Amino acid sequence: MTDNELDPVIHAPARLRIVATLAALPDGDTLSFTRLQDMTNLTPGNLITHLRKLEDADYLASERTGNGNTAKTSIALTGHGRAALDAYTKALRALLNGL
Amino acid sequence: MSNTSGASPTAAAGNGDGDGLDPQDAAALLRDTTRRARRQLEPFPPLMSVVRAGIALATYGTIWLTVRGQHPYHGPTSLDIPIVLALAAVNLGAAIVLARRAYAGVSGKSKLRPVEILSMALVWIGVFVVMAALPGAGVSREVWFGQYMVAAPLIAAGLAWAGIMAVRANWLSAGPALAAAAIGVASVFGGPVGAWAIAALALPVAILAHAIAVTVRQRAATTRP
Repeated sequence: MTDNELDPVIHAPARLRIVATLAALPDGDTLSFTRLQDMTNLTPGNLITHLRKLEDADYLASERTGNGNTAKTSIALTGHGRAALDAYTKALRALLNGL
Repeated sequence: MSNTSGASPTAAAGNGDGDGLDPQDAAALLRDTTRRARRQLEPFPPLMSVVRAGIALATYGTIWLTVRGQHPYHGPTSLDIPIVLALAAVNLGAAIVLARRAYAGVSGKSKLRPVEILSMALVWIGVFVVMAALPGAGVSREVWFGQYMVAAPLIAAGLAWAGIMAVRANWLSAGPALAAAAIGVASVFGGPVGAWAIAALALPVAILAHAIAVTVRQRAATTRP
């Protein structure tokens, strides 16, 4: 991927929404799965699928606490994920300026 | 950290890939999502701050209208007190509801720690304990109603909140808290009538300035490809 190419991991509507939403959190904060689902308007299954893709790329980290009905998953962008969003934004800007 | 979970993967990814997403659509989606997320995570929404500025103006202004023509000075009337308490309750209730909504599902540094909540509670309790003790100590009504009641809550709560926010390096919240403390100090020099006028005018300005700062930050933080 060159500097002007859009990162395919982020360049998908659902994943772009997820990454942009998590990037709005201050550093050091995490968001619960249910709140993230609420904010991105994705179905649970859809959200899980995209979160796995982002997690595989090391763009986000998740932590599960509790068991059964009390289980809670917290999600946050990693430093690598924030850097990837910055690079994606720069590439997008370069593409739009070139149009 | 483990694999993402929390619900069963009951649905496929759907139209998740970027085929067909042109750069302009992506830019618009990124901008809109960031703005919406910032708004939803903001515990002090600008619109609510405008309402709070109005409440501050009504609260302090109501008492100023009452005390400005008093000779001799006897302070707020029994009619003012319920109005002020009702406005303060509305303000506090709205702040709690909005903060709970903004922080729902959020964990980490942004949430207030129990020791910080306890510190603020102790500051407020201290202010009111001293306020209750002052008449017994022979303090005049001018000082009690005219200066302590305006200045002490603003200085004490303003400094405490500014300290908590400064430790967190949250300057956007520390600024208005310091401004509130400064308004409290200024009101001391305004006399028993002028103190209410200073608070009625300056506090809404500080709150509106904070609303503008939050709006600017939300827009500046919005990624503009």
